[in-house]
Amino acid sequence: MNLIPDVEVHRPKSLEEALKHMEAPGAKPLAGGTDLIIDLREGACEARNLVDLTKVKELDYIREFGGRIRIGAMTHHTDLVASDLIRTKAQVLSEAANLVGSIQIRNLGTVGGNICNASPGADTATPLLALGAEATISSSGGVRVIPLGEFFAGPKRTSLNPGELLTELSFPTPPAGSGGAFQKLGRRKGCTLSLINIAAYVELDGDTCSEVRVAVGACAPTPVRITDVEEMLKGKKIDEAVIGEVSSACYGLVQPSQRAHSRASEEYRREMSCVLMRRALTTALERARGNK
Amino acid sequence: MEYDKILEDLLGRKEFLIVGKSIIRTDALDKALGRAKYTSDYIQPGTVVVKEVYSTHPHALIKRLDTSAALEIPGVLAVYTGADVPGENQIGYAMPDQPFLCDEKVHFIGDPIAIVCAEDEYAAQEARDAVVVEYDPLPANFTIDETLAKDAIHIHEGGNIALTSRIRKGDVEKGFSEAKVEVEGTYETPYQDHAYIEPDVAYAFPEGAGKVTVIGAMQSPFLVREKVAGVLGWNLNQVRVIQALTGGAFGGKDDTGPLVSAKAAMAAVKLGRPAALVYDRFEVTAYTPKRFPSRIHLRTGVDKDGMLTATKVDIKLDCGAYANRAPYWLWRQTVHATGPYEVPNVHVDGTAVYTNKVFGGSYRGFGNLAVHFAVDSHMDRLANELGMDPVELRLRNVLTVGKRTASNQLLDHSVGIEECIRGVAEASDWAEIRKPRRKGNKVRGVGIGTAHHGISTSRGAPDWSAASVILNEDGSFTYRTSICELGQGTPIGHAKIVAEIVGAKMEAFHIEIPDTDTMANARPTHGSRGLALGGTAAADAALKLREQMVNTAATLFECEKDRIDLRNSMASCKDDPSKKMAFKELAHEMYVRGANPAAYGFFTPPRRFFDPETGLGVSYPAYTFAATVCEVEVDLETGQVEILKIWPAMDVGKAIDPLLIDGQIHGAISHGIGIALMESIRLDAGEVINPNLTDYVIPSSMDTPEVAESILVEKPYRHSAFGAKGVGEPAIISIVPAISNAIYHATGVSFNTIPITAERLHAALRRGGQ
Ligand SMILES: Cc1cc2nc3c(=O)[nH]c(=O)nc-3n(C[C@H](O)[C@H](O)[C@H](O)COP(=O)(O)OP(=O)(O)OC[C@H]3O[C@@H](n4cnc5c(N)ncnc54)[C@H](O)[C@@H]3O)c2cc1C
Repeated sequence: MNLIPDVEVHRPKSLEEALKHMEAPGAKPLAGGTDLIIDLREGACEARNLVDLTKVKELDYIREFGGRIRIGAMTHHTDLVASDLIRTKAQVLSEAANLVGSIQIRNLGTVGGNICNASPGADTATPLLALGAEATISSSGGVRVIPLGEFFAGPKRTSLNPGELLTELSFPTPPAGSGGAFQKLGRRKGCTLSLINIAAYVELDGDTCSEVRVAVGACAPTPVRITDVEEMLKGKKIDEAVIGEVSSACYGLVQPSQRAHSRASEEYRREMSCVLMRRALTTALERARGNK
Repeated sequence: MEYDKILEDLLGRKEFLIVGKSIIRTDALDKALGRAKYTSDYIQPGTVVVKEVYSTHPHALIKRLDTSAALEIPGVLAVYTGADVPGENQIGYAMPDQPFLCDEKVHFIGDPIAIVCAEDEYAAQEARDAVVVEYDPLPANFTIDETLAKDAIHIHEGGNIALTSRIRKGDVEKGFSEAKVEVEGTYETPYQDHAYIEPDVAYAFPEGAGKVTVIGAMQSPFLVREKVAGVLGWNLNQVRVIQALTGGAFGGKDDTGPLVSAKAAMAAVKLGRPAALVYDRFEVTAYTPKRFPSRIHLRTGVDKDGMLTATKVDIKLDCGAYANRAPYWLWRQTVHATGPYEVPNVHVDGTAVYTNKVFGGSYRGFGNLAVHFAVDSHMDRLANELGMDPVELRLRNVLTVGKRTASNQLLDHSVGIEECIRGVAEASDWAEIRKPRRKGNKVRGVGIGTAHHGISTSRGAPDWSAASVILNEDGSFTYRTSICELGQGTPIGHAKIVAEIVGAKMEAFHIEIPDTDTMANARPTHGSRGLALGGTAAADAALKLREQMVNTAATLFECEKDRIDLRNSMASCKDDPSKKMAFKELAHEMYVRGANPAAYGFFTPPRRFFDPETGLGVSYPAYTFAATVCEVEVDLETGQVEILKIWPAMDVGKAIDPLLIDGQIHGAISHGIGIALMESIRLDAGEVINPNLTDYVIPSSMDTPEVAESILVEKPYRHSAFGAKGVGEPAIISIVPAISNAIYHATGVSFNTIPITAERLHAALRRGGQ
């Protein structure tokens, strides 16, 4: 491992100031640094100017406004876990945030960093995809909003342009009759990276599934929705038996890494995608039924 | 002296005052508050930064070594190669097969070739990358079979077999002919990293022309002194070694201490400036010695009554690039090859082989983890074949007083394994929890593992220990041992032994950190000997000091010596309560009257011996025994194993401090879960591919199960202070088979390789477990 290369660090206090610094050549935002510092030391990324966002307080919020739950990019995992709003309205995200790293990592790491790092197994990516989230992106030139699915461009790659910052993640406030659940499989119980993770979200109309979104992590170059599974369920009567059937379809739908030294074999990930999908959907259904 | 009798015969007490009670460690607060000083805390600004240039080839001749570009980098002070070593360019532990800095040939990826010295980290890093090494690559052997193949290239001059070992006891063929059931299997265990929290580090500074001081993380200050002096070509007394508090070691720093210290010392001496070498996690994980991988083939026979008749064992030990501790490791595996069971006919062949990989070294459990995994897995398979309960089969064969070990050593006392097994069976309600339990896709199982582990160094090598204690003028005590504090607290155990004997309060003690300039050689903190041997040297010193104290008090009180009582830092006369005196006054009187206020203790256990032809003899002075029951829950869909509860028991001889023992047992449970379920250094063509804590996965606190109260069996060892035996190493050995046997019980799948990851278990279940 190497030392952190020589970089200049900027400490803006406002978003406007931060966006200005982002125009410098080789500028890279620094949030909690729990991914970035390691990448810099391993030579996995380069930066000449680090724009430290920790003092940009206007990016640190969780609020409900205009029928949407809005989360600032600089919100720490610990705050997601502590938020009553997230726990009661978007439990799937609360569960996932609670399984990110350790207490220290959750205190330091941000949801914005988790998404922008764009690891295929990022734990908050799948719940946000399942919640139908959009990403708000700002630059000195203005603001654009895109579906989160379009944000990921590949392993550790995003569709951000130079000079842009992710500022907000937002999703429609889940209505009554909805439920979500998160499932994660790691190599140990505490502080573990996902070998695979799955988030499921369903809305019920009686016993019909009126809306459904499922997403899987660490089983493709980016976190992805499995729309084939969604289509099998949407508008249909849903129960445990149906869930069992559609979940087994995951085996052929996911595309896990085939690298020789991957953290888990392709076969194991395919098989686990079925198990975790069934467990996530079953719990989501249970919660939707209870959410009157 | 029979030290286990000190209490009644000498102290005249029925009850211990300090020994046997759990105390708050004297260093607890400093460590909890971050005030304790580790090596890096001593490093001063302006210290020269030392870094190593490592081989990038697993096996190659060095064609050309060019340091000129590196030397031109601003801030670079020097680059040293093998040619610059003033003393011996050789640092092998047991055999002279390991260059200090490779100058002709490299044997693994990570072999050191040069050291760079610079004013700061950046310059040192740049220089390390600028040293040009041209190699002539050679074919490499990565596996035991590759290296043993007839046409395999030789890794070292004498060939690829580092050494062999054997036991020939009784007649195994006759034994097998008497067997009703035979079980055979091959058990493999992987490289395990120590994953100590403090990376390796040494800080060295010259003191005048012919002297250097090294402060570092290590387990044997006197071994470090010997190796540093060897590399410098100096006398032992020109090197001063201080072991700073060390942040975990688990055996690893016994090997790295000398290697890292010698490099820092060479830089400091050559440059005439303080110099420090500090490893990062990558270097620790990829390049430092690991638990030796081994492959053990076992064939065991048992008669219709469940009595073991014969064991035939073939051990292949994968040394990696250098033998290092292999002679001791292999020999320990050989003489423990039957587990804690009596087998009349034993045939063991051990072979340690070189491969072009990171080398093996000392590690908690020292060979016995692999052996007991094999033996105890076999015991469960035998029990299954016989239709007998695994606990019952063990009790029929277990070592007791009067029985003989694999090397035919007669055990005449201090054998508590039967009590350990009965203890954990009873505490866990064995018969009840062995009943099958399945709920949905979760199934539970329980298993038992056992351990025996010889105290002191292997191969009958001479062993001794030394300690000293000073009664200061104010009644306080200074205790000196070169047994190291590595987190385990052994020196505190020593101080308790001294305090008990001299009748002092624990608060009156200051324990000095090991320093080779002021202490005698207590020998290494390894081999489960730190307390049993080091503590006995402490007792020897304490008994001598006590005599001086008693004599002085008897004179002052005008009372018989055997009527003097020393306790709570007070001397008194048992016959006349008015005659009493605080140690402060007593100390003053001793100094004034010329009674020696300091004592030096020395201890050597009874000699051991073995016949190299048969391997038979007295292998160790004593053995610590342990048994563990483990309950697991297996997720049949994912293959994940949850350890629900562990019931531990150990025959510790005498518990000097039950809380310190709990510390070792609880730590060892995590440690054992690590290698049983997840830990493994993975290599690809000799390169470690998981050289970090992201992919070298160790258990987290959430992977730690409920642990039942430790059952401490006390079968004192006659020749150690109060009868104490070592606990840190034996604590891990029985955990692994307990877990694998519990998985076997739950699923019907008996694993003969570890770690049993979720993915492996899932695949095995798919192939037709349950
Ligand atoms: C021990 C350990 C355990 C971990 N465990 C987990 C785990 O269980 N699950 C998991 O998902 N992750 C885990 N991680 C990874 C990491 O902690 C998370 O991804 C975390 O959320 C990253 O957030 P951060 O604020 O630290 O990001 P940083 O490291 O500061 O940044 C990450 C990347 O995002 C960019 N970035 C940050 N903010 C913005 C922004 N607003 N706009 C544009 N780009 C931005 C940075 O430039 C950088 O490229 C772990 C890491 C460690 C060290």
